[in-house]
Amino acid sequence: MPSAPADAGAADAVVKCVVWDIDNTLLDGVYLESEEQPPPADPVLLGVLRVLAGRGILQAVASRNPPAAADYVQRLAGLDFAAAECGWDAKPAAIGRIAADLGILPDAMAFVDDDMVDRAEVAAALPGVLVLTPEDAAEAVSWPQFSPPAVTAEARRRGQLYADRRRRQAAAREFGGSRAEFLRHVGTRVTIAPATAADLPRLHELSVRTHQLNSAGQPVPAAELAKLLSSAGAQVTTVALADDFGDDGLVGTAILMGSAIDRRPGPGVATVPLVMMSCRALGRGVLDALLAWLCRSAAAAGATELAVPCRVTDRNVPFRLALAAAGFRADPGTVTADGRTLFRRRLAGDLPSLPDFVVTPGRS
Amino acid sequence: MTTDVDRVADELRALLTEVTGRDELLDIPATTTLLGGGAGLDSLAGTLLLRQVERRYGVDVAAEDLNLDALETLGTLAAFIAARI
Repeated sequence: MPSAPADAGAADAVVKCVVWDIDNTLLDGVYLESEEQPPPADPVLLGVLRVLAGRGILQAVASRNPPAAADYVQRLAGLDFAAAECGWDAKPAAIGRIAADLGILPDAMAFVDDDMVDRAEVAAALPGVLVLTPEDAAEAVSWPQFSPPAVTAEARRRGQLYADRRRRQAAAREFGGSRAEFLRHVGTRVTIAPATAADLPRLHELSVRTHQLNSAGQPVPAAELAKLLSSAGAQVTTVALADDFGDDGLVGTAILMGSAIDRRPGPGVATVPLVMMSCRALGRGVLDALLAWLCRSAAAAGATELAVPCRVTDRNVPFRLALAAAGFRADPGTVTADGRTLFRRRLAGDLPSLPDFVVTPGRS
Repeated sequence: MTTDVDRVADELRALLTEVTGRDELLDIPATTTLLGGGAGLDSLAGTLLLRQVERRYGVDVAAEDLNLDALETLGTLAAFIAARI
């Protein structure tokens, strides 16, 4: 009976985080009914959890239990949860907090719970979440939503990266100053560098995993990515991110083409046919830094305008917010039926500023 | 009309505080810019704010406003919403 939902084949449905209930789901029984000797794990679901974690999918719990219940399950599973919400709230509120904590939109989350009412509540409040019964989840390892095509070093370390993120966010809540001051305070380092052949698997991974900070608005097919990467004159750039809490590795990429290469938008116009960035970089000044660097590089190469073709979707709103903050504008009259348009910015006058924590090819 | 804008602006201050965890945003003037300087909303906080706005008022700012000009200041966002409820 359990089967993948109808849109299971859609590449954009890759789940990045699974939120598990504990009682009668990850545990074979109810934690508080026998706190002295809590029930054992459900062996099948715990196995599923470990397999998915190994594929770089984050694991979290939302449970009406004391926090000790999450610690107990964590010990049984032998891994750290990226987030744990233990309390007496409704499940949609708990999942909403996990989404905000991890910087993941509900559309990229799955929720597993044996309780029909909890499942119905989550499905109603957060329609983007893939809601599963434990029986569904037992088969989920073979579903495409849980099978990211490329598993890189970054993916295997993802659980650790999100643990770093939790510590960073706790520090941010205690920090009194502005966001920009906090980024400096924690030793943020953004490194912009030319891509090398060794970066290709990670670029492919970004092309399937990123939606919110992706100018294409959808996964980029491998062949299209390869074509862009090998275009004559394409300047492929990678962005790496680290701070005192941890090293996030390669989190983004952009392709810049000079006006001499691609004349379509007009003379003097440099274009950025693709920008992709991991949602881990959200809130850490990275996309703003990359857009500022792209503007400055294009201006230094003699371009008078920078154009970013973008497919506007309901998921890449964060990307549009960054474009707006960097001074890009599109003509609403030019949007095609499938949402394609061109965001442009004149490169005269004040360019977006590049924070001093950004290392670029010409600056160390 | 003005009262609607003021009421929405007050509610937006509460939403801003909720999505950023920064209590000082409860007191910002209507002329405060939202992105970058001013309220200092980043892409994530901005997206969460727009989702809350859609849930509370049924106004999908991102769908109606390609360039997100409505987010220029707290006052422009309040006026954008008030004109649609």
